[in-house]
Amino acid sequence: MAVIEVEDLTRTYRSRSGVVRRRTTTVEALRGISFAIERGELFGLLGPNGAGKTTTIKILTTLLLPTSGTARVAGFSPASEAREVRRRIGFVFGGDRGLYDRLSALDNLRYFADLYRVPRSVKRARIAELLELVGLTGRERERVETYSRGMRQRLHIARGLLHDPEILFLDEPTIGLDPVGARELRDTISALRAGGKTILLTTHYMYEADALCDRIAVIAGGKIVAAGTPADLKRVVADRTIIEVETFGADDAAFDRLRALRGVTGVAVETRDQAQVVLVQSATGAELVQEIVRELDGSTLGRVITREPTLEDAYVELVRET
Amino acid sequence: MTRAFLSGMRIHVLQFTKNAFDVSGVVLWPILYASIAYYVLGAKNDPKLLLAASLGAAVMAMWSIVVIGSSGALEHQRWQGTLELLVAAPVPFAVTLAPITIASGIVGGYSLLATLAWGTLIFDVPLAIDDPLAFAIAVPACIVTIGMLGLITAATFVVYRAAFSLGVSMQYPVWIATGLLVPLSVLPDYVGPISWFLGPTWGFRAIRESALGGTPWPDIGMCLLVSGVYLVVASACLHLFEKLARSRATLRLS
Repeated sequence: MAVIEVEDLTRTYRSRSGVVRRRTTTVEALRGISFAIERGELFGLLGPNGAGKTTTIKILTTLLLPTSGTARVAGFSPASEAREVRRRIGFVFGGDRGLYDRLSALDNLRYFADLYRVPRSVKRARIAELLELVGLTGRERERVETYSRGMRQRLHIARGLLHDPEILFLDEPTIGLDPVGARELRDTISALRAGGKTILLTTHYMYEADALCDRIAVIAGGKIVAAGTPADLKRVVADRTIIEVETFGADDAAFDRLRALRGVTGVAVETRDQAQVVLVQSATGAELVQEIVRELDGSTLGRVITREPTLEDAYVELVRET
Repeated sequence: MTRAFLSGMRIHVLQFTKNAFDVSGVVLWPILYASIAYYVLGAKNDPKLLLAASLGAAVMAMWSIVVIGSSGALEHQRWQGTLELLVAAPVPFAVTLAPITIASGIVGGYSLLATLAWGTLIFDVPLAIDDPLAFAIAVPACIVTIGMLGLITAATFVVYRAAFSLGVSMQYPVWIATGLLVPLSVLPDYVGPISWFLGPTWGFRAIRESALGGTPWPDIGMCLLVSGVYLVVASACLHLFEKLARSRATLRLS
């Protein structure tokens, strides 16, 4: 049974500037998206910056009104039955904000517990349990402004779970965390999923989505361009091989020459420290390594790896097509 | 909801008192206003007039602290990303917002004590309260009515991002229209009826009448009546403005 249903949702932002000559700028953040999330499912929403992920979450968490279309969360409309929706959801937005910095973690949790109507009889035990879950036991009396980013993020998770919501919205929860902190948070999310929570997760990290999500929707330019299990999405590029070449000092002309090679279906370039990592997609079986090395002649080459496509390759391909 | 309200007051008083800059303003304003009142009126050598002026200065400071404190608090909530959490809480928005203005009012209550103490210790203003019981009730009634007027203004701060500037600009009109800055008798006739709709008018009268002798109870009653009306108006405004903020996406600065 679907606990979140989104049907043809659109959202347009209008901003005005200028005093004498008023100019209106219109941005279509969502252009008619539809999806459904089953009870107990961990659903990932992936997309580049400005794709519409946060707008979608804000509409579903009652913080924004849609321009058109409908949404149901736990059977209620976030637009017209906000209070009913708010009782049943928790949300965690990534980043440093969303906490009372001058106060302790304990004061923050006590306040939000009262705000979210956690019964007095269970409040203390619930806070202790959540502090334990997110690994902040013993640090709860310190001011939040002294916390690291990872600690704040974990406190956000505890806050979002205070009223034991059946649905959890996590908007880029691991953004800015160090690898150990991000891994711990992913473990926490997995545990919540195992505990039966329905979770909508947005993230930029493909390995995170691959490891955690039951199903994924890729959103780009305000539209859903693909949806399915991580395995379904990987099939988009299953007929391809990825050749990853580390180069130093290659220019755009060299990348254009790679794109023109027979059998090449796509070329992407990532910068990692001083190196450029060229990702060349080709039809499976095409022997292109020698030709690629020849076209990059003149720049210093590092590692050359041939590998199977990942979810990230599928994502890049899907987003590139739009 | 009562628990959410009381917890909100506690958290906002705590939040307010943990910033040295905010606290220094609250400490200095009443002393400054009381000193000005003394120097303006001191030469008349009328103890009752001096006490009345001190009380007026205290209520002025109370209003300043409420309107600037709550607008500053709301702007701060935007910056720190907690405004969205307050809006998204499953309780009426007024229950999450009223504690901010009432908490400012309670902090503003300090201004009354500071003004009276300053006037007594430094300027020998006589501290003789005519009806202590009425005074003890008039002070919280004044705090509530000022807090509720602050709630209406805070509702507009939810929609408009320049909350603090708006808050600062609202100090003076209320000071003038309620007769706190200058007596209403020297202002144009049309200001009188305007003052009837403003809680600080009744709050100040209730405090003054109970301190100097008079009939404070009708003024205390008016404080409560006006507060009730403010609560209804503020709730309606908040419902409307919350919807507007969700429509315009103005709950966050970034």
